[in-house]
Amino acid sequence: MKFTCDDKATLVSYLYGELDPATRQAVDDHLAQCAACADEVTALGGVRSELGLWAAPDADLDFTIVKKSELASSNVLRPARWWNTVPVWAQAAAAILVVAAGISIANVRIASGPEGFSVTTGWMQPEPTTAAGPAVRTVVATAPASDEFKVQLASLEQKLRDEMRAARDQNATHVATTSDDAVSMRQIRQLIADAEKRHSQELAARFIEFTNDMNMQRRLDMQNITRAFNTQDAQMFRQRQMINSQGQIINNVIRISNTPQ
Amino acid sequence: MVATDEELVARSRDGDVDSFNQLVLRWERPIYALAYRVIGRDEDARDVAQETFLRAFRALPGFKGQAKFSSWLYRIALNLCRDWIRRKKRAPLVEMPEGVDIVELAAEQGPTESIEDLVARQEMSRYVADGMKLLPDEQRTAIILKEYHGLTFQEIADLQGCPLSTVKTRLYQGLSVLRRHLESQGMTKYRSAE
Repeated sequence: MKFTCDDKATLVSYLYGELDPATRQAVDDHLAQCAACADEVTALGGVRSELGLWAAPDADLDFTIVKKSELASSNVLRPARWWNTVPVWAQAAAAILVVAAGISIANVRIASGPEGFSVTTGWMQPEPTTAAGPAVRTVVATAPASDEFKVQLASLEQKLRDEMRAARDQNATHVATTSDDAVSMRQIRQLIADAEKRHSQELAARFIEFTNDMNMQRRLDMQNITRAFNTQDAQMFRQRQMINSQGQIINNVIRISNTPQ
Repeated sequence: MVATDEELVARSRDGDVDSFNQLVLRWERPIYALAYRVIGRDEDARDVAQETFLRAFRALPGFKGQAKFSSWLYRIALNLCRDWIRRKKRAPLVEMPEGVDIVELAAEQGPTESIEDLVARQEMSRYVADGMKLLPDEQRTAIILKEYHGLTFQEIADLQGCPLSTVKTRLYQGLSVLRRHLESQGMTKYRSAE
């Protein structure tokens, strides 16, 4: 086995230790004689050792596969159902109505006797009780009670219809009173005109007030300035008097000094 | 006794999620490190690693064990990395700190390593990372799989879908480019004797 300088694939295999012993020996023999190849192997080996310095960050991973069924239901977002928008009291009332209607339709009978409670449904005729037999006491939802309930339901329905009609009538009245577009427009225009007039008056009043304030302030400033000038004049007058008196004194002194002794 | 990958895969295929999570725990760091070195961004590497395991879990029924589980994972991860690079339409970047924090370095310091040695090691690491950015995708991936994951030439050839000789050529060319880059940074010890 002979190794040649241009056999880079074998050189790489040699670098990574993936050569059979015979080929490895051939490369070793070549490197002992060829300084260029020996130097290249050394250099590439150095690059490999430097590659080991490049570490990935020490990331906190903790990936976990979780089955959907193990997820808490509270964490699962679902679209709102139509019944979620109905108040709870309304849902309860509806449930009671449904149950009551079901009972009335099914003609449920609950009876107690010596054999315990018995529940019968449908429109079957109850077994006749003999005079000698034990008395059977019906406690809930007999046929007359069902009729009474139907009457109550009907009255409730009528009441609801009346209220809905009243609300509709009221709405219709309101619409009728405001349906005259021309009148409405005139009223709106009148309101707008009134508002504009009021705003103009307020603006004029504010302007007059502002002008008065400005005049007052200007007058006050002028008074202050005049007072300051007067004070300044008085001081200057006093100073002039002092200078005059001092000049007089000096003149007197000169005169006295010029007088022959 | 520690279960092998194949045993855990078999249990996972029978619906045992805990077994699959053991595989995740075993392979999450290598997969993340592979993604980080290929695409060079910590956050994106996390996403790629997570997606790798999700895809593996979903595709588990189709995995017949014709390859090693790790090779299969590497293939998924590399495909995702390739998608990421194609999607971003840019060369992989390597996040490296702007400056060297001595306090952080001290925490990484080995028992016999001085701060000066540690700083030099960090510098060298940055040079290596910069040099890896210069390589074409195939050469970089081949070097990463060989140097950091210890795959054989044949495994790399299977993953990259190329002949064995091509893998060796890529490795040789990649190492040569890195050598020239390090020399240009003043690392003269790689220079051939003239």
